[in-house]
Amino acid sequence: MTSTAAPALAASMRDGYKDYGTGEAAVRALDGVNVDIARSEFTAIMGPSGSGKSTLLHTLAGLDKLSAGQSTIADTTITSLSEAQITEVRRKYIGFVFQSFNLIPSLTARENITLPLDISGTKVDKAWFDEIIGILGLGQRLTHLPAELSGGQQQRVAVARALVSRPEIIFADEPSGNLDSKSGAELLAFMQRAVKEFGQTIVMVTHDPTAASYADRILFLEDGTIVDEMREPTADRVLDRMKQMGH
Amino acid sequence: MFRLAFKSVRHNPKRLILTAVAVALGVSLVAATQTFTNALSSGFSDLFDDIYAGTDIVVEIDPGAASEEDQGGDPFAAAEGVFSPEDVMAIGDVDGVAIAAGGLQVSGTVLPADAGETSTDALATGGGAPSQIFNWYGEPSVDQSTVVDGRGIEADGEIALDIDSLETLGYSLGDTVSIATETGVDEFTLVGTVRFGEDNNLQGATLAYISDADAHRLADDPNYASVSVIADEGADLDAVVAGIDEVIPDGTRAITGEDKAAEQTEALDDVLQYVDIFAIAFAGISLFVGAYIIVNTFRIIVTQRTREFGLMRAIGVTGRQIRSMILLEAVIVAILASTLGIVMGYLLALAFSWIVSLFAGDIFGTLTLPWDAVVWAYVMGGAVTLVSALLPALHASRVAPMEALRESATGGKKPLKVRNIVGGALALIGAGLVTLGLYVDLDKPYIYVGAGAAVLVVGVTLLAAQLLSPLAGAMRRPLTSWFRVDGKLAANNIQREPRRSANTAAALMIGVMLLALVATFTESLKTVVTSEFSSTKADLFATSTQGPIPDGAIDVIAGVDGVEFTSSIGFGTADYDGTQYAVGVIDPETAAETYEYATDPAIGDLSDGEVYINPVIEELGVEVGDEVTLTGTEGDVTLEVTGRYLNENEGAFFVTFPTGDELFGDVQAVQTLVVFDDTVVPDDQEPAAGEITFTDQQEKIQEALSEDFPLVILAQPGQLEQLANQFIDLLLGIISALLGSALVIALLGVANTLLLSVTERTREIGLLRAVGMKRRSVWRMITIESMIMAVFGTILGMVLGVALGSALVLSLADFGFDGVTIPWVWLIVYTVLAAIAGVLAAIWPAYRASRLDILQAIAADG
Repeated sequence: MTSTAAPALAASMRDGYKDYGTGEAAVRALDGVNVDIARSEFTAIMGPSGSGKSTLLHTLAGLDKLSAGQSTIADTTITSLSEAQITEVRRKYIGFVFQSFNLIPSLTARENITLPLDISGTKVDKAWFDEIIGILGLGQRLTHLPAELSGGQQQRVAVARALVSRPEIIFADEPSGNLDSKSGAELLAFMQRAVKEFGQTIVMVTHDPTAASYADRILFLEDGTIVDEMREPTADRVLDRMKQMGH
Repeated sequence: MFRLAFKSVRHNPKRLILTAVAVALGVSLVAATQTFTNALSSGFSDLFDDIYAGTDIVVEIDPGAASEEDQGGDPFAAAEGVFSPEDVMAIGDVDGVAIAAGGLQVSGTVLPADAGETSTDALATGGGAPSQIFNWYGEPSVDQSTVVDGRGIEADGEIALDIDSLETLGYSLGDTVSIATETGVDEFTLVGTVRFGEDNNLQGATLAYISDADAHRLADDPNYASVSVIADEGADLDAVVAGIDEVIPDGTRAITGEDKAAEQTEALDDVLQYVDIFAIAFAGISLFVGAYIIVNTFRIIVTQRTREFGLMRAIGVTGRQIRSMILLEAVIVAILASTLGIVMGYLLALAFSWIVSLFAGDIFGTLTLPWDAVVWAYVMGGAVTLVSALLPALHASRVAPMEALRESATGGKKPLKVRNIVGGALALIGAGLVTLGLYVDLDKPYIYVGAGAAVLVVGVTLLAAQLLSPLAGAMRRPLTSWFRVDGKLAANNIQREPRRSANTAAALMIGVMLLALVATFTESLKTVVTSEFSSTKADLFATSTQGPIPDGAIDVIAGVDGVEFTSSIGFGTADYDGTQYAVGVIDPETAAETYEYATDPAIGDLSDGEVYINPVIEELGVEVGDEVTLTGTEGDVTLEVTGRYLNENEGAFFVTFPTGDELFGDVQAVQTLVVFDDTVVPDDQEPAAGEITFTDQQEKIQEALSEDFPLVILAQPGQLEQLANQFIDLLLGIISALLGSALVIALLGVANTLLLSVTERTREIGLLRAVGMKRRSVWRMITIESMIMAVFGTILGMVLGVALGSALVLSLADFGFDGVTIPWVWLIVYTVLAAIAGVLAAIWPAYRASRLDILQAIAADG
């Protein structure tokens, strides 16, 4: 967002390994992953439980450290950065949408949306803010506390928060996982629109084929490695592919 | 159930650690004081045993028959002689008596070897350890002492000193030793050293022996104060006591040495008991503060475990079982904490007695933990913990099984209405009780004041939640502009759990309230002192370090050039209408010139045969124009009431010296005010010919006194004022130190609440970190929360404390308090300290919060 010479890749990982525990109890969550996340693309990561998809998201986003290999965000190699520097990178380049508990309960919807900007002390771009709010249909809800919002509204506030600072990349972890199908569909449609209209880069982890079908590209993960990739997916094709993987 | 409770404590010890420490701190105060007073008691009990060890029977003034004046006095003060030499002979003739030795003590001070020069700072050196000067008999079982070097007293003009004092005073055998008494300074030749009892255990006092004749001469008394009796071998002591009783004067008694020692120990224990009660009161305050923390801790734990309890209820555990489980947890905490507190208290007592013995010598017996300290500790620790856990336990037992299935653990906000009503009612009742106790003439008013203050505190605690909400709301804007999101979130967090924040702040409020109360009181007291001294025109105050000021000394002072006149004040105790009252004896003419007495009419109008009365006597219905009959040591005197003294302190009656002499015999001055003439100029002025500076004049008088009256010391009003203020500050310091433990506990409470709240907000903090909040910011957020709570509690405490302190001061207007002085300096100091304390209390919670693993935080079970 800040760089004028746009990098070709929003994020990438080379030979990513991630081990949890030591000795007998050691588990390898990522087993030599190579990923490139192109800019302005909606990428979904799919895979069965325990395939390492959440770990991949966390390590790409700098929430977790790789055991070996390296990953980049907007051409910055984050694997060699200090904790404080990674926090800085997250603040500048990354937006997050989690499955639940996305919002600070004591802040209003508006305050939650502008939280990343408030933290970094950046001024809110009023026009951009209004545009997002308009698209997400949150105009009437800005002064409400999270507890006063429906699940779908809460997730839309989370998306708005992720979008407001125009991050290089948004990571979403099962954003529609807790929503009913209608709210889920609405949310995913918003995210798709953000990619198409504003050129936003989004990486989403999901195990729901319908949700994944909103993406431009799907990466299939199994036992810590990427086993397949699919472009222009539809829900049926994704479902078929998942069945092959034993689901 | 017990196993479940025990496992729960063991599984999650961290959340209970601070609670346990809070209880332990309060308990340790009880254990420490009781151990300490116990050791002090046994130390003195050993001393009394030593004193009466060799003596079979002591013949003395019967304390039961003595006038009230003598009761509760200094046990070391010399008593007036009542046994004539003939009485002693008669006792010696009683069957079974081997030796009857008259004993006489002289009031005086053995001066150190280097005391030849006039001391420049009389106030500092004037006090010192008292000297015990007795007549020498020559029989160890009578004298209680044995000769170590040299020999005993064989002739007049000889003196023997105890071995330790020989060293501390800097003498060696053959030296000339000076003793200062009321009548002047006498010189003796040091002929020997003695050891008192087994190991010269004198509690720091100097012991000296002189000849029988010298003792009578110095004491100006032909009689003996007591008679020590050694019985024949094998004699029946009770029979001998009965025999002696028949020959001794009325108002005296014979008692065996053993009984006497026991009696003395008992009397001391009575005094020490008050120390214990005092300490238990402060421990009670600490534990009261601790109770707030326990309530908070258990309440938070219960909230955090709502799902657990819901699950238990779902699988068939009854509410009652859940309640007993939590109470069992409380019992486990109480037992562990009390035990820890007892150990800490014992160690504290050891450390403190070691420090004291460095200054005061070995005055302690064995330091053992008395069993009643253990009982007190467990009872107080257990009661506080259990009572505090009761409400949260009740709350937990009402958790519905459905709660287990709820998504969010944070329930909706319960309105504060009930809390406010209860709080308001309690605050009103408390304030009412305090007012009642202070201003209405009731029996035992302190009970009303104490209970009222406690109820008021609880009420204000409840109201504080309501107060905190808008306050945090108001602080949101400035905090946001200073600290951005960190400040805003901190304000929000305070506001989110107003009860919890209020309870936490209230714990601190209690300690600060008491501090502010004491500070208001002492500062007002200082104002009184200042106005007392500013209303005097005297240039110097003369007092004696021992007993009254000898008449000869006053003559010396008055005879020095540059002294215009002196005005002396004496005191006596007279009986009026069956009660003993203090009688001030003054010289009206000079008194009016030296001091602004608050009297109506002026003090100068008081004549012989007349008396002024103070409000205490007025309340008995006595009016100006009435006649009163006072009974002094010399008999009854009837006086006409011609005026009123407007303050309740000092004497109840004021009479002239001639009238005083009629009542008490020759009244001696306890204080003499000295007024200079105009040849004495201030220190900052160059004295012209024939003039002298103030300090030089003071030294000149001291010099004139030093030869015959070294015990008389001079002080400028300013110095005395300073001394009085120092004493007041010391009082404030001691009380502050005792309240220190309550404050430490309160801070632990702040830390504990924050810690538990950090655990509760794990996900939230993880989210903040995920969207880019730095560790430093998280730290700052927690610290701001802590500071808000600490400063809020402090300010509440100060408002309450100053209000209660002012009420107290105003209710004491009769004692000379003419207004409240608000201790602004202290209040500012307390606020700053509170803010710093807030930062300190936040260290651990903030560290924990800033170190949270983001991944675990956002994945936390919620």
